[in-house]
Amino acid sequence: MEPHGKSYWAIHYLLLGAFVIFALFPLFWLLKVSITPNDLLYSEGVRLWPSRATADHYASVIAHSQFPLFFRNSVIVATSTALFSTLFAAAAGYGFSRFQFRGKYWIVGLMLITQMFPLVMIIAPIFRLLKPLGLTNSLTGLVIVYTAFNVPFASILMQSFFDAIPKDLEEAAMLDGANRFAAFRKIIVPLTLPGLAATLGFVFTAAWSELLFALMLNSSSAASTFPVGLLAFVSKFSVDFGQMMAAGVLALLPVCMFFVFIQRYLVQGLTAGAVKG
Amino acid sequence: MSWRRVLLAAEPYLYTLPSVLLICIIMLVPLLIGLTYAFHDVRLLDPSSGDFVGLEHFRELNADPAFWNALRNTVTWTAASVTLQFGLGLVLALLLNRLFPGRAVIQLLVFLPWAIPSFLSGLNWAWLFNPVVGPLPYWLKALGVLAAADNLLSHPRHALWGPIIANVWWGIPFFAITLLAALQSIPADIYEAAAIDGAGPWIRFRRITLPFLAPTMAITILLRTVWIANFADLIVIMTKGGPADSTQILASYIFTQAFQRLDFGYASAVATVLLALLLAYAMALMVLRAALTRRG
Amino acid sequence: MGGFASRPRQECALSAHNLKIAGSLLAACLFTAAASRADTTLKLVEVLTSPERTDTLQGLVNAFEKQNPGTHVEITSLAWSSAFEKFATMVSAGDTPDVVEMPDRWLSLYAKNGNLENLEPYLAQWNETKGLNDRALQIARAVDKTAYLLPYGLYLRALFYNKVLFKQAGIAAPPRTMDEFHEDAKKIAALPGKSGYCLRGGPGGLNAWIMFGAAMAGNNIFFKPDGSSTLTEPGWIKGTAWTVNLYKDGLAPRDSVNWGFNEIVAGFYSGTCAMVDQDTDALIAIAERMKPDQYGVAPMPKGPSGKAYPTVGYVGWSIFKSSLHKDLDWKLIKALDDPAGNLIWNKRVGALPIYKASEQAPFYSSDQLNGWFQELSDPDEVPTLMPTNLPGFAYFADSLVVRTGQQALLGQISPEDMNKQWAAYLTKAKQKQLSGK
Repeated sequence: MEPHGKSYWAIHYLLLGAFVIFALFPLFWLLKVSITPNDLLYSEGVRLWPSRATADHYASVIAHSQFPLFFRNSVIVATSTALFSTLFAAAAGYGFSRFQFRGKYWIVGLMLITQMFPLVMIIAPIFRLLKPLGLTNSLTGLVIVYTAFNVPFASILMQSFFDAIPKDLEEAAMLDGANRFAAFRKIIVPLTLPGLAATLGFVFTAAWSELLFALMLNSSSAASTFPVGLLAFVSKFSVDFGQMMAAGVLALLPVCMFFVFIQRYLVQGLTAGAVKG
Repeated sequence: MSWRRVLLAAEPYLYTLPSVLLICIIMLVPLLIGLTYAFHDVRLLDPSSGDFVGLEHFRELNADPAFWNALRNTVTWTAASVTLQFGLGLVLALLLNRLFPGRAVIQLLVFLPWAIPSFLSGLNWAWLFNPVVGPLPYWLKALGVLAAADNLLSHPRHALWGPIIANVWWGIPFFAITLLAALQSIPADIYEAAAIDGAGPWIRFRRITLPFLAPTMAITILLRTVWIANFADLIVIMTKGGPADSTQILASYIFTQAFQRLDFGYASAVATVLLALLLAYAMALMVLRAALTRRG
Repeated sequence: MGGFASRPRQECALSAHNLKIAGSLLAACLFTAAASRADTTLKLVEVLTSPERTDTLQGLVNAFEKQNPGTHVEITSLAWSSAFEKFATMVSAGDTPDVVEMPDRWLSLYAKNGNLENLEPYLAQWNETKGLNDRALQIARAVDKTAYLLPYGLYLRALFYNKVLFKQAGIAAPPRTMDEFHEDAKKIAALPGKSGYCLRGGPGGLNAWIMFGAAMAGNNIFFKPDGSSTLTEPGWIKGTAWTVNLYKDGLAPRDSVNWGFNEIVAGFYSGTCAMVDQDTDALIAIAERMKPDQYGVAPMPKGPSGKAYPTVGYVGWSIFKSSLHKDLDWKLIKALDDPAGNLIWNKRVGALPIYKASEQAPFYSSDQLNGWFQELSDPDEVPTLMPTNLPGFAYFADSLVVRTGQQALLGQISPEDMNKQWAAYLTKAKQKQLSGK
């Protein structure tokens, strides 16, 4: 790396600082309102920090709402979706990467088209499809639907990771007598662990934030995920900013923590795969 | 012996089969059903509806000012969101592409918005713009952008910027991550060789960085544009399409028609038009890319 | 070696254990199945959901279950903001409840579709039916003069006003006429950072437009005998223009063009705007956050003809035709809605009672509810039922009115234009209804 002048670094850090503030300020505000007691909420206006902090909103959310249940449901749905999607996508991505076969471009095209249709249109047909199978009002139904949504993008991701690994590796193993699947499992997969982590991360985040289908397919609270639960705070009879924001902060914590762990792999994984056109 | 050959030929299909099956059942079949609704009179709760009406919905659509308004807004929404997300994401990726102390921490912090569920981002920004609990109206007034400290989301001409800003905040990390990964895969020697040859930073950027990034840029922009055009969550949460339909985009208009008027037929027709437009856009981009790579 | 290799071994180790668990679960199931062979489950859907309501509902349901051993009621609570589309999706796919909380706006849709059970036979046999006040029966029979729901309460609009702000602006009493209202709003808007009226420019604002329009027109007749809408008459247009001017003259907050229920209530209890027209269910939210001496409730201000037309809405319980346990459903509704249950329920949801006798209950003589009873006893305050039984009314109220209302407030169309558009839609709907569909 060539040396840069002081002014270069000054601008560099200034710009970075601006990005950091832009990224963090909304989250900071969320936190600030969540610890502001109700009586100060409207009267103190827009100070950067309340004159008196309270943990009441958090206590209410945890003790008096079903938030912990919703949260648990979201964890189950997002984790299952991430696992299944990555599994299916790894297989499909490998198939696209290693083989040329009839219908390949049709399948890839199909996957791309499913990404283009506004999802709101297929809510009613999907509902009608899942109801007789008993899959509405269930977390399983959601996992199935989310996996279907995420597999196309995840497959394309996984394909690019596999493309970065030379074919000779498994061909050498196959010459030694192993079948392709064993070579895939034992050699290729371990090499793409960063890629797998990246895909898991993308899908987990997507499944965690999905709102529309969670809202429309499941109506009982036993099967509601936390986005649905959060909207319930904006019910007809109350607009409790403090509680809503406390719930928001609580909902962010696991995703942020998960993100902290995997974000390193995201960039690494994508670099290794070098997402190409 | 022929068993072996059959298995070998079937291998690729076996790998791709689970995914294809799942997608066909869950997405393709409903999608086709949805497309047929566009040609029928389908009202959600009316069991007696369902007659074939041909192109009736499309004629209605053509004459519907709300549809054209939503189309215009969709273009503004998508173009502004993608341009800002990409532009700022590129700047961020370039900044992070250098080694400097604290890089790991800063990288983590600036990528954080992407972990936030999109609708929570929408709610959060709606609260920030709300003069009752948020600071932005007062700051915007102090900066002279707004005449009085009120909610940006209730100005018909500027309301769309509220969801756009929320979308940009949430979407910058996506571009930054993918562009950064692509940047980091450019071998450093090429830059060094160019520097030795006397090329300045701007020339290096134009001649080396951009061409290397081009394939990544093309596919991420394509996917992102399609995705954002269909992305109505933020708008529905922040403004519900108002005030006076000034923030209504096609995707949210479809939602309104489907679930408030319960007219699935008309909503499907609008959705079909949107799908056709996006397909045309995708193909145009492919053709463009093919033309550029042939020239380059 | 890798994660994949070790997994099969773990799964195998678990399966023997799994079998044991499965075995005991199966035994438990069979045992309980034998013991509870008579168990029926009723599905109850509530749509105006809040944590307190759900608790109260659960309490009433628990009492019902004790009285009817072998019956279990499963409550599904839908968030109101998405209840319409969710319930419509559920019903269209065959996921129907046994009993549902039915708001007035939805009644026509589901009754006309043949989803709801006719309650007349049940009412005929019930000894509490004669205790219902006339309005309750009239409402129950809103569609096709047949009772498709049993209402649990009435929501009558009245004027909430902020006593503190009034004192600050030097106003002694709440406005009795629309002119006084305008004056008072102006005085309060002169206070720094305050507005006179919490305007509901977003979803749900139709009632206010109608109330002020009717007060200006001097009548609450929506349709001429031939089915065409009266909204194009000069009186109604004056009412619309009056409301638009409230916004244009800055007497309502700039942001209120987007405001829905939550925002106007929050605007009121945060002291941002001094007056809001609402019904008794807003009282609950406001009473929690303001002290009794900080706010008051007065009858709606009267128009030039000396009359006011506060709108009245209602919610009730309906039975779905597809239910397999209709008699049991009616028993549940009785438990929720007989004089005892109704009082408990209305204390929580804050609706006005449907029984003649309840009006004497001590709960209803509190100061705050006094405003509504004042309204009810004043012959010049004429409670007005909205034409919710028109086909397509929900789309009108939730979409057309919101969009055109906002356009009028923002000056993009004139009040006359707005009324013309509304009249066109309503006329079409009314004539469709009259042609006997």
